[in-house]
Amino acid sequence: MTGYSTEVGEENARMIRESAGFLRAADRMATVRATRHQAPGITPQDWAVVAEMGWMGLRLSEERGGVGFGVTEFCALAEELGRGLLPEFVVSSIAIAPLLPDALLGPVLAGGHIVIPAWYEKLGEPDHVEAALAGDTITGTKRFIASAQAAHSFLVTTGQGAALVEATAPGLSLTTQALVDGGHFGELALTAAPATPVSGDVARAREEATLGIAAYLLGMAEACFAITRDYLTVREQFGRAIGSFQALQHRMVDAYLQIELARVSIAKAARIIDEGADDAEVARAVSRAKARASDMVLLVTREGVQMHGGMGYTDDCDVGLFLRKAMVVATAHGSAGWHRRRYARLADLRNSRLAA
Amino acid sequence: MTTDPMTTEHIARAAADAALTDEEFRLVVRDWIAETYMLERNLRIRPSFDYARPWYNALSARGFLAPGWPVEHGGSGLSIMKQVIIVEEQERFGCCRMNEMGVVMVGPLLIRYGTPEQQQFFLPKILSGEIRWCQGYSEPGAGSDLASLRTEAVRDGDEWVVNGQKIWTTRANDATWIFALLRTDKTVAKHAGISMFLMPMDSPGITVKGIRDLTGGEELCHTFFENVRVPHANLVGELNKGWAVNSSLLGLERVYVGLPKHSAHGLARLHDLMTLTGAWDDEAAVDRFTQFQLDLEDHIALYEAALEQVVRTGEYPANISLLKLSQTELYHRITEAMMDMGGEIAGLFDPLVEHDNLFLSNQFLLARPTTIYGGTSEVQRNILATRVLGLPK
Ligand SMILES: Cc1cc2nc3c(=O)[nH]c(=O)nc-3n(C[C@H](O)[C@H](O)[C@H](O)COP(=O)(O)OP(=O)(O)OC[C@H]3O[C@@H](n4cnc5c(N)ncnc54)[C@H](O)[C@@H]3O)c2cc1C
Repeated sequence: MTGYSTEVGEENARMIRESAGFLRAADRMATVRATRHQAPGITPQDWAVVAEMGWMGLRLSEERGGVGFGVTEFCALAEELGRGLLPEFVVSSIAIAPLLPDALLGPVLAGGHIVIPAWYEKLGEPDHVEAALAGDTITGTKRFIASAQAAHSFLVTTGQGAALVEATAPGLSLTTQALVDGGHFGELALTAAPATPVSGDVARAREEATLGIAAYLLGMAEACFAITRDYLTVREQFGRAIGSFQALQHRMVDAYLQIELARVSIAKAARIIDEGADDAEVARAVSRAKARASDMVLLVTREGVQMHGGMGYTDDCDVGLFLRKAMVVATAHGSAGWHRRRYARLADLRNSRLAA
Repeated sequence: MTTDPMTTEHIARAAADAALTDEEFRLVVRDWIAETYMLERNLRIRPSFDYARPWYNALSARGFLAPGWPVEHGGSGLSIMKQVIIVEEQERFGCCRMNEMGVVMVGPLLIRYGTPEQQQFFLPKILSGEIRWCQGYSEPGAGSDLASLRTEAVRDGDEWVVNGQKIWTTRANDATWIFALLRTDKTVAKHAGISMFLMPMDSPGITVKGIRDLTGGEELCHTFFENVRVPHANLVGELNKGWAVNSSLLGLERVYVGLPKHSAHGLARLHDLMTLTGAWDDEAAVDRFTQFQLDLEDHIALYEAALEQVVRTGEYPANISLLKLSQTELYHRITEAMMDMGGEIAGLFDPLVEHDNLFLSNQFLLARPTTIYGGTSEVQRNILATRVLGLPK
């Protein structure tokens, strides 16, 4: 994006966060808890807000009916969604909206049509693609599709580019697997299912979705960390707040450090994308941010449970919602290990001479 | 099922077991378990007592349920090493364990502090499975700082009237009796006004409410006491000496928490996972796995050394709680690796039937509370730092 201004981006981001304020409401976690293990994976109320706020058009240019915001703003929103545990597929759906044909944009922006990307095929290898687009049909199997039951159509990646397949298309069958966070993964079996190819930079949209998920994890960690910090100030044992014990204080600071590292890593990656960096640089920055965020969120949520003692092991305690969400989302778009390996390859660490 | 403690047959069999060398005894136990065990092995969720009853009875009849209790109380009077062998072999086989609170804690407690009436009433009923115990120690306000507990017993003639609330009472919903620490004197230092009482769970005024945990299980409970009347005869040990009574009890279970079974099992599943994902071709993954393998082997060495010392001296060394830290935190790390290496299947709600029931999320979640119950890791470290290392408080 040319003429990108950090100040404008940050001002927009502030507005976006404000618009997502309901996700910080005191009763938010009660809503989340009550809607687990229920199809289609997002409540009508949550989805209505997504549509009303125009979030689906966040990355879409104004000419196409969107708001034309940058990745910085997108990450700010994703972070808020993570804070309030709004189902994470929304992050990916926003990232791919610019790829959709004009005809579909109307219903997508209005909230009447949900498009969910189907990228994965092979366990542990988010990039692996064997599905084939021949003429205008797709044959192949797509797995690990978050909240697949909510989709009206899928954006399916293939060896020959991406294409849209309607959820009701002939030749498509969907099965689901339940997840510990109360959501589900869908598996799509496609046999010559009718498909409409899309144009646009699918790979870049994937990078942005990945970064958005890193920001989502950041938001989750911040919320879980805040709950834990509050608990340490109110829970008393041995006649003092448990937060006064240095054994816990030091570990809280360690967690805080990881959160701050993730925050700046994500912000920097968002900025270089907004400033128009090339694909290789973008991929490196995204991997760096995602590797950090994935490890960080598991650390923060695990510590949240441990520091709550017995309470942390109960279903009633909110930290457990974040822990179980982290178990599912930390590996989305590639685990921390996968992203470190990708980074090492992209940066060609073996052959580069590092400045001392 | 007869568990009459004093039959000549019972005494003769205990003597025969005692006469075996440890190696011989291990094989006897191993063969017996393989021939006798009739339940599902390696159960994921602990079943109800009724389900496990046939195995409980079989152990009891063979003299392997309470091998450490003296023969005159219906036990087998076996050495510490032989008691450990019985537990190790059951773990090895994947047997379901039941009513450990009764066998490992309440039995020895009554044998040491109980009145003859208490011994005669309770011990045979523990051996027969008629009475199953839960432990009422923790309260909402008293966890790590257990001595600040407030559930109160007030004397009324020959009875005590109990009011208050316990929490995290494991299996209170399947137990028939509770052993509880209660406040009997509010005017003295907090450790000095606590007594231990035994109460039937069906006493009027006791109510239990399940607490759902992170795995969806409901073993944990709230236990409420409202004007529950307990006869004075159900006091264990001296009045207001409950804290000391409890501390003196901490025995073999401090060795058992060091059993490497959780980590060993977790590591075996991590091995399966790496085979499934092809991670054995990834040097970083192999290095990580090997680190766990060495940690496990060294932990086993630590466990064996501690056990050897306990057997030799008959005492529990002050640093015995290293075993719990070492075991539970290794288990933590192994299951954390599952979350990263498991990729997209890390968060599945159900086991993978097609992969020998590989169940990463459950392993990870079950590992969490091991560093919380039985004294949190932080509390264990505080104790080691001050009592073993002699660092100032
Ligand atoms: C699965 C499970 C089963 C249990 N079963 C039973 C049972 O059958 N019967 C029973 O009575 N209890 C049982 N418990 C309760 C258990 O013993 C307590 O949870 C434990 O003692 C911790 O107390 P708490 O939960 O109140 O946490 P808290 O004491 O409130 O601790 C919260 C956090 O503060 C930390 N902390 C506290 N004090 C210090 C300190 N001085 N220095 C540093 N850190 C500190 C703790 O380590 C923890 O991380 C069970 C618990 C669990 C999770």
